[in-house]
Amino acid sequence: MSNLQAQAMRPGFDRALVTTRYGFWFVQLILAVIAIVSIGIAVSIGQVHIPLGDSFRILIYKLSGIEIGDIPSLLQGQGANIIWNIRFPRVLLALLIGAGLSLCGSIMQAAVQNPLADPYILGVSSGATLGATFAILIGFGSIGFLSQMGVAFGAFVGAFGAAMIVMVLAGLGGKMSSVKLVLSGMVVNALCTAFANFIIYVANNTDGIRTVTFWTMGSLAAAKWDKLPLVAIVMGLAMLFFLLQPRILNAMLMGDEAAVTLGVNLSAYRRLYLLLTAIITGVLVASCGMIGFVGLIIPHLIRGLVGSDHRRFLPTAVWIGGIFLVWTDLLARVLIPKVELPIGIVTALIGGPLFMYMLIKKGYNFGGK
Amino acid sequence: MELNVKDLSVSLGGTPIVNGISLQVREKKFVGLLGPNGCGKSTLLKSIYKVIKPDAGQAHLSDTDLLKSSPKAVARKMGVVGQFNDLSFDFTVREMVAMGRTPHKKLLDSDNAEDSRIVDEAVRKVGLEPYASRSYLTLSGGEKQRVILARSLAQQPQFLVLDEPTNHLDVKYQLQILNIVRSLDIGVLAALHDLSLAAKYCDYLYLIKKGRVVAHGVPKAVLTRERIAEVFEVDCEIYEIPVTGGLGIAYLSAHERDAAGQT
Repeated sequence: MSNLQAQAMRPGFDRALVTTRYGFWFVQLILAVIAIVSIGIAVSIGQVHIPLGDSFRILIYKLSGIEIGDIPSLLQGQGANIIWNIRFPRVLLALLIGAGLSLCGSIMQAAVQNPLADPYILGVSSGATLGATFAILIGFGSIGFLSQMGVAFGAFVGAFGAAMIVMVLAGLGGKMSSVKLVLSGMVVNALCTAFANFIIYVANNTDGIRTVTFWTMGSLAAAKWDKLPLVAIVMGLAMLFFLLQPRILNAMLMGDEAAVTLGVNLSAYRRLYLLLTAIITGVLVASCGMIGFVGLIIPHLIRGLVGSDHRRFLPTAVWIGGIFLVWTDLLARVLIPKVELPIGIVTALIGGPLFMYMLIKKGYNFGGK
Repeated sequence: MELNVKDLSVSLGGTPIVNGISLQVREKKFVGLLGPNGCGKSTLLKSIYKVIKPDAGQAHLSDTDLLKSSPKAVARKMGVVGQFNDLSFDFTVREMVAMGRTPHKKLLDSDNAEDSRIVDEAVRKVGLEPYASRSYLTLSGGEKQRVILARSLAQQPQFLVLDEPTNHLDVKYQLQILNIVRSLDIGVLAALHDLSLAAKYCDYLYLIKKGRVVAHGVPKAVLTRERIAEVFEVDCEIYEIPVTGGLGIAYLSAHERDAAGQT
């Protein structure tokens, strides 16, 4: 069999498992099980090691009230507190953020019809950085609730504002083409970065600069129960919405003209999707800082495995994104004893080589020609 | 389904491209648009299939106002095979064809047995069954074009718009595509660049130059030596093809014309 034939055969072979209806649900079920097991493992491991069985018993008791074995004595140990109040919310946040980044990356790639897009492409990353830098180094002063929300608020406003400016810029003079979007994104990125650097330069505040640096590397360490509902609601609505749009997302991948001939008014949907993605990414960035690579690498990986049809692709990408971030956050906590690495470093360390492997592997060509 | 275009004018970036073109495609007729590159035939088609907004004029497909109806309503009746078939993402052939069902589906509809049958039928009609699970990006130009044709067939259109559907294809595939389209027995409006193929397949022709209709009629009436010289700026002789009685066109260079002793 020639190399070309082998390449041509590969997708059919790889996708066999997920192309049938039962195959699809089977894969989703397995992913759900993997996610649950990953959560269990991730809450057990850390500076204080708690046996896997105990972790699951505590979680099950807290979630459903079902007692397995001697729950009262378990709850009295420090383990219960660590698991329930520190690690579990953090792992859940990781799952949500990973799923969200993967979702937003997938949607962005469809919306700008470029397989190299990621959630931060519309100037979101530098906008958020500018907002966070402003909040950390200058602050919102005494404007009541603003000063309490602080960095998260600054990051959200920065991210959302930058994305809006990009969309307006790209929409000037008629059609919002994907090329114009990407170029406007680059311009706004450059501007926001310049402003952020300017603030850093004139602020001359060593502690503040250190905080900014850590913020740009991303961290889930601040996860608490009271932070979860907002992220969970936003992500829940986002997934519900986008998982119901596979036909339109598929038509988008066909390109502007073809989408119109398939009856999809692309420019309206694109605007809506970009707006929603900007809001979601803003919320994600505000709650955990910048976490790179997830939104780029996971959609790529999943496209290579199950193909581009959003009916199969999107749910799978969302699960894997969540699971991936649970494990990278675990690695960030335990890789170096007694030191917690920023999670952005870990995602890049894993994502980079993974991306290289996909480049080298011939069967997957990143959608290029 | 009858297509009626009236006084359609389109300009791109301030430059007028189409200047008040009117044309008609009667029930089940195959109508060709001919004209040199840049004459506005693609732009005309694009405004008919709603990618470009015309400045003035009307376009109706039987009772449907093409310019005012939603893309979805239009896509249920009209299929389009264009020149824009480069993808950045990979799909299997069957997935590509299945997208033709998009305009017939509501938000929460899933594909049923009927859709599946329509898609299989479309794949079969273009002769791509053995390729159904192949990846689109690995196909040749002719095969890709047949996939796009199958996708528009899956829309179950009552009218088909083709924008140079045989561009860059080998003769075999040019004939194959046009034969498939001809066999559908629905109204077709096609921009074509090959005059002989247009003469062979079209019931009626519109000759376009600089955004205006220069001539229209049955192929034999429209494709004359004088008109071809005027519109395409080439010298030719028209003859009757011995075997079929069809219309043949032989292009002549200046010294061939001299050798023939005519001017």
